[in-house]
Amino acid sequence: MRRDAQGGRWLVSGPPLLYLLVFFAAPTLLMVLASFRSPADFGGLAPLVDDSGTVDLNVEAWMRFATEPIYLRIFMKSIGYAAVTTVLCLLLAYPLAALIARSDRRHRDLLLLLVILPFWSNFLIRVYAWMIILGPNAALARTLNGVLALAGVAPVSLLFSAFAVLVCLVYVHLPFMVLPLYANLEKHDQALLDAAQDLGASAWQRFWRVTFPLSLPGVYAGAALVFIPAFGIFAIPDILGGPNDSLIGNVIKQQFLETRDWPFGSVLSIVLTGMALALAGLAAAVGRRGRVRA
Amino acid sequence: MRRRSPWLWAVALLAYAFLYLPLVIVVVYSFNDSRLNAEWVGFTLDWYRRLAANDEMLAAAGNSLLIALVASAAATVLGTMAGFAMHRYRLRLLPVLVLCPIAIPEILMGVSLLIFFVLLNVTLGLLSVAIAHVAFCIGFVAIVVRARLAGMDESLTEAARDCGATPAQAFRRVTLPLIMPGVIAGALMAFTMSIDDFVITFFTAGAGTVTLPLQIYSMIKIAVTPEVNAVSTLLMLLTLALIVVAAKVSPSLFRTDPEASPR
Amino acid sequence: MNPSRALLAACLLWSLSSAGVASAKDQLHLYNWNNYIAPETVKRFEAQCKCEVVQTYYADNEELLAKLAAGAKGYDVLVPTANAVQALIKGGQLRPLDKALLPNLKNVDPAFLPTAFDPGGQYAAPYAMSTTIIGYNDAKLKELGLPTDTWAVIFEPKYLEKVKGRVTVLDSSAELFAAAFKYLGYSANDIDPKHWDEATLLIKKAKPYWAAFNASSYIKELTVGNIWLVHGYSNDIFQANQDAQAAKRSFHVLQGMPKEGAVLAVDNMVIHRSAPRPDLAHQFINFMLDGRNSAELTNLIGSGNPNLDARRYIQPELTKYPAIFPPSQVQAKLEQLTELTASQRRLRNRLWTEIKAGR
Repeated sequence: MRRDAQGGRWLVSGPPLLYLLVFFAAPTLLMVLASFRSPADFGGLAPLVDDSGTVDLNVEAWMRFATEPIYLRIFMKSIGYAAVTTVLCLLLAYPLAALIARSDRRHRDLLLLLVILPFWSNFLIRVYAWMIILGPNAALARTLNGVLALAGVAPVSLLFSAFAVLVCLVYVHLPFMVLPLYANLEKHDQALLDAAQDLGASAWQRFWRVTFPLSLPGVYAGAALVFIPAFGIFAIPDILGGPNDSLIGNVIKQQFLETRDWPFGSVLSIVLTGMALALAGLAAAVGRRGRVRA
Repeated sequence: MRRRSPWLWAVALLAYAFLYLPLVIVVVYSFNDSRLNAEWVGFTLDWYRRLAANDEMLAAAGNSLLIALVASAAATVLGTMAGFAMHRYRLRLLPVLVLCPIAIPEILMGVSLLIFFVLLNVTLGLLSVAIAHVAFCIGFVAIVVRARLAGMDESLTEAARDCGATPAQAFRRVTLPLIMPGVIAGALMAFTMSIDDFVITFFTAGAGTVTLPLQIYSMIKIAVTPEVNAVSTLLMLLTLALIVVAAKVSPSLFRTDPEASPR
Repeated sequence: MNPSRALLAACLLWSLSSAGVASAKDQLHLYNWNNYIAPETVKRFEAQCKCEVVQTYYADNEELLAKLAAGAKGYDVLVPTANAVQALIKGGQLRPLDKALLPNLKNVDPAFLPTAFDPGGQYAAPYAMSTTIIGYNDAKLKELGLPTDTWAVIFEPKYLEKVKGRVTVLDSSAELFAAAFKYLGYSANDIDPKHWDEATLLIKKAKPYWAAFNASSYIKELTVGNIWLVHGYSNDIFQANQDAQAAKRSFHVLQGMPKEGAVLAVDNMVIHRSAPRPDLAHQFINFMLDGRNSAELTNLIGSGNPNLDARRYIQPELTKYPAIFPPSQVQAKLEQLTELTASQRRLRNRLWTEIKAGR
């Protein structure tokens, strides 16, 4: 039993491990190394070993990050946007996932497909659709400003604002919360809930004391799959954002494109990845403790 | 008896409405008689006609579909293995390796993969794009599968082993059907990520390789015409059709009805 | 595994790997901006050279530079803007042009060849150009009584007050700083840090009135009337007007050439150093330097044209636009952007991040 457990371990974890080592870890390490090099004057990286034989390794890019607080501020702002997005996604996705999970087998697959179908259309035109919905002449903005005018408040612009960015962030990430939640909720045993009800639990208590704790792995999975990508996103602020909605993803993109400062871009990317992994690890640790206690 | 609270229904419907409002606009505007995706002007089928003649766009759509199918299939297999391994064994490296591609900024991953491929003298093309896509899709599948496995009743698998099944048989006949909803959810996410990816595809695509996102994003500075709405609508319908056909042709693949159900 | 599924998988993999393989036909790989060459022109060239033109696209010079810097190969002809050409030359990415194969070079306006960034015209052949100017909704700006021939309307709060939330500027530090420098009376390529601080201050003061930093969707918004004033590219503004007229709007989208001057962007055809078919590349460049072919793009999108021979093929109405064919007194005030060194770019990006993240 022990021997084939060992062999089984490598058989199952081997292929994905190998794939990721070759096609992810190796290329990424190249860029981690790049964070210790200097940018070439006209793009890319300066040669590792220059003509005189000296190896070009320095911590300039790292020092820059450590000594300029503005980047940390932008990181915090991005964490804020990503956190709000995650919470909103959770609030919206949970009932949806629960509904699908409790539907008849026949309808379940269709309902699930319906959730993800819109996301097979192109990202850009979906964002453009939001520009139409949030535009100043569209029904939504006009109604809102009409109400505000009655209250004597100046009109607001829904487009090119933090609101637009958040709405679009939630929209784009919603299926990635729904699907993991569904996968978890689907296996909940209705008998548990029925038993709880028989014991006198109200609907809210049934949810909070039975369903929700059981669904926590799904919640964490969904939260990870929403928070982590949302943390580094740049396209939505670029298209819909206002002048103050630049996030860390935008700054990183600029390093690789406009500024052609790959070392600094690598530094920011490493910090981003580190923060994301740390937060994910933290959430997982809290989750484990919570489960042990319960 | 299954009681469904009206609250649940209401919020769920709201969520569906939220999901579909932009999509309705996308589809409706594919018939819009204006080059810009900004305001309704009038009805026309012109854009669909133009799309039918636009070989470039159609080829790009075809490439995207092909890459997405292959990449999501491979990512689902590898990701399920990873998710299972992470749940079953105490691994330290794999969970990090699986989560990193999701966390790392796409532009860094794209540039690093390009440098890597160039270093290895790999010809860039559709295959290099697919390889890149698999790398970042594995994580999505793995996380969902692991979440599904968490809290799953191990006794069923043990019972199967006790009855004489090999580990492989136990996995195929007992575990896999039980985690199938997770696997399918992961596959759907991987497919979605792949078909719409721009940044990584941009860097790993070859000199003659165009996928739909590459084509569309290059239009971003001029005008993203309703032809894009048209191709998106058609691609959505085509994908839906593919899945429906696949489910009919190979029902065992999508069976979420495990042979040994605890119910 | 099910044998039919295995077969399906094998077929998919095979089609993936073979889809990228070049067909036996001769191919020219053109890496260009989208919609930057008329379809008829491509077809005519394909008929003439009996080859296939395989087009891939980028939306920004920076994307092109990043991809080439990381080592991408396989492209024959690229169409970068002047400062990107400079970066490519310095980075050793280009193959020198064989002038003997380019008799049509004589058609180019001598004012554009040779240039400071390409002494001797060794690497680049001018293709098309545009200016970065002001675009506006004529009805609205007339109503508000705002000037349309000066950068002040983009930078001065006293004007911006009237159009608060209805103005966008380009999301490009190079372009916005250049416009600020022009307004302040400096060169667009000024590298004095004191002037940079001055420009940063100017931008920060104006920022609260701007709706967005936007390089992609601003034209749409201008055309439908949500945005009334933009800092944008002349080609885009020209197109926006065409779309506005097609949609029968009550206003026009006009180009405003600021009297303080503006940035001129000349796009050039260059050959990548590892081009698989330099012979076809030279053929293509010579073909595009012919007046008739060059004019087709101008007629299509309203781009400026550095080709003298093309004038007779260009629609007469287009020659009247100062942003497309700047008269000499305007020409004197136009400047092409030059490349900065790595440390200068870093400084500029630092200021830019401050501007965008600042309160």
